[in-house]
Amino acid sequence: MTDASHNPAELPIKVAARDVTVSYSGKQALHNVSIDIPDRSVTAFIGPSGCGKSTFLRCLNRMNDTIEGAKVGGSLTIDGREINDKSIDPVVLRASVGMVFQKPNPFPKSIYDNVAYGPRIHGLALSRPELDEIVENALRKAGLWDEVSDRLAHPGTSLSGGQQQRLVIARAIAVNPEVILMDEPCSALDPIATARIEELIDELRENYCIIIVTHSMQQAARVSQQTAFFHMGNLVEYGPTEDIFTNPRDSRTQDYITGRFG
Amino acid sequence: MSIIAIVALAIIVMLAGGFYVGRSRAIAAVSGATASLHSLPNYHGYHVAIWTGLPAFLLLAVYGMFGPTLVDRITAAELRRDAIVLTSSFESELASDPEILALEEALTLLRARADAISDSMAELRSASGSDRDPQRLEALAVEQTDLVNQIATTEDARLARRDVLRDRVSAEAAASGAEVRALAGFELVHAPRERRQLFLSDVRRIATDGLASRASDELDAAAAVMAHHDLRIRYLFAGLALALAVGGLVRTRGQIAGPFRARNHVEGLVTAMLFLSSVIAIMTTIGIVFSLLFESIRFFSTVPLTEFLFGLQWSPQIALRADQVGQSGAFGAVPLFAGTAMITLIAMVVAVPIGLLSAIYLSEYAGPRFRLTAKPILEILAGIPTVVYGFFALLTVGPAIRSFFAMIGIDDVVTQSALSAGLVMGVMIIPFISSLSDDVINSVPQSLRDGSYAMGATKSETIGRVIIPAALPGIVGAILLAVSRAVGETMIVVMAAGQGANLTANPLESVTTITVQIVMLLTGDQEFDSPKTLSAFALGLVLFVITLLMNVLALRVVQRYREKYD
Repeated sequence: MTDASHNPAELPIKVAARDVTVSYSGKQALHNVSIDIPDRSVTAFIGPSGCGKSTFLRCLNRMNDTIEGAKVGGSLTIDGREINDKSIDPVVLRASVGMVFQKPNPFPKSIYDNVAYGPRIHGLALSRPELDEIVENALRKAGLWDEVSDRLAHPGTSLSGGQQQRLVIARAIAVNPEVILMDEPCSALDPIATARIEELIDELRENYCIIIVTHSMQQAARVSQQTAFFHMGNLVEYGPTEDIFTNPRDSRTQDYITGRFG
Repeated sequence: MSIIAIVALAIIVMLAGGFYVGRSRAIAAVSGATASLHSLPNYHGYHVAIWTGLPAFLLLAVYGMFGPTLVDRITAAELRRDAIVLTSSFESELASDPEILALEEALTLLRARADAISDSMAELRSASGSDRDPQRLEALAVEQTDLVNQIATTEDARLARRDVLRDRVSAEAAASGAEVRALAGFELVHAPRERRQLFLSDVRRIATDGLASRASDELDAAAAVMAHHDLRIRYLFAGLALALAVGGLVRTRGQIAGPFRARNHVEGLVTAMLFLSSVIAIMTTIGIVFSLLFESIRFFSTVPLTEFLFGLQWSPQIALRADQVGQSGAFGAVPLFAGTAMITLIAMVVAVPIGLLSAIYLSEYAGPRFRLTAKPILEILAGIPTVVYGFFALLTVGPAIRSFFAMIGIDDVVTQSALSAGLVMGVMIIPFISSLSDDVINSVPQSLRDGSYAMGATKSETIGRVIIPAALPGIVGAILLAVSRAVGETMIVVMAAGQGANLTANPLESVTTITVQIVMLLTGDQEFDSPKTLSAFALGLVLFVITLLMNVLALRVVQRYREKYD
């Protein structure tokens, strides 16, 4: 793989993958991916549909466990701790690796209960005021507080699409994760809501390691510091976003970002 | 073979021919360049075939439904005309017979006295304080009963005398050589109702070469009249049907041309047929509801609605002597409502947890192989005839419950109890709840599950906190449908719950339900217009209203749920 140990910034490495392979019911979807992802920055995964970028993303919080017939091989560490290990409880792991999905998926509960969902199941708050504080903080960080503070008891599904996606981000933040995975978080949103989410991603970068899968080249260029290009289950190229977009080394990357395929 | 069958066959042949004529003519109309037709050749064929067959067959259907009645009417009218002379002589006999006159006078007197007594009884009942005189009321009631009996006997005597007079007129006419047809007409007009119907059906049988219950000159004469009219009507309808078919064929054949929009016409006819089918279904429902409603209204004219809905005593078997109707009949349906409610509750207590938990297991935990085997097996439960559940409840569960309670020292438990019926009904309901809930749980979007897992929730946390709340409206809908099924269930309770209309909260006693009572009231020989029989309609109406409300509620809940996720 190209430059597996390349560290594009002077930031500590948060997530490190070595020869990660994934197969679904015997069909290999990801071939020997090795990558180092730094903390406190945004890393974008780009590539055509079916290239394995979402599959790799789902390895990082072991969401592939919930898919029948999925097999993950290789080594994946977060802060130097192996997460594919049997001793790691995926349920505990997922509390520190939050995830935001393509379509906003608020639970059929109130706005408050949506955000309080994680803290409640992980026992993060001992009292109601404490929980209130966690919820308020998460909503503030997600930039949603001012819009919903007067209707926390309304159902989460009553919000607009962009608001729902920020609610889901607030829900992920509420359990204080270290890594936030975003799987095409803006693909179901209009440009204005998208701009709002991108702004939010930029703010969150200061505290979290954010990994975002996107189909929009402009979005990757706007929000990320590092970009990884996946193709046919392989990691083709990985480096600082600027380099990837202005000076790609691989011809496939060149073709993809100039819109020749994908 | 009857002319109608021949015509029907001819229409079928014409219909098939019409299809080919339409098809080939359409092709010929554009000299083979079918692409320039507005509609494909087949549509032209369908168009011709439909207009050839449909109106003609509708007419034949009308004949099938109303033909015999029409013939009966025409025959009866003709015979009645023949009997005018006899009828007038009978009427003059009636008006001049001293016995009839005396009886009629007596009846008028008796009725006046009965009215007076019921007036004074009403006065006494509404009186208060010192004016209240229960003894006098009782005496009046006895007198009223007596009067009612007298009225009935007098009326019977009058009718008997009338019959004697009629038979005499008829015999005299026969002796003096009156026309047979006049005698037949006289019979048809003035005989008692049952005899008239028997006469008419015998006439019909003779006219159509069937076996009649008896034979007489009058019958033969009437049958000749009927056979004549029958044949005329038959030929009339057959000719009309044939004309319609030919007319349709000719008309639609003439319409065929390149730009003719046969496709749209066929589409319109298909729409009309679909509409007609749905109208038939709806009309049937409306018809059933109205028949329930009208019979119930008849029932409520003898038993007040409030007594029926709030009375605590149900014993339709007593106090039903013809002259005592409505005075002490016990038609309080509360014990039935309570019994229905209790058995339904027991069934739900069994079915809801088991059904729901098995649905959760099947949809969330079970592997695909187990699911594929378990689900059909569970659904077989729904296919078992309820009568089988019934004797399972009666022969296995009932005795088991009794011996269990005997073991812990309660000896007076009966075999036919609310508990055994409820338990078995619960088992029967399980597949409803599990199957419907399973569908609902499966339709909760995967994204919600993913969202919850990604938050670090375990499977059971996800199910309890996200999936069940999301599926709740659908589950509630499923439960409501199951309740309405349980309320309307009959066979299990008939066999296992007993028939005693006990108002009790003890599930070990035997109770009875609305459905069981309907069965009891309508099986065996019953007078059709006694309140006992009519009360079945009132119960049916109550049952209908309950299940209707349940279903409407369930559908609305489910609908709201659908709107949220689609």
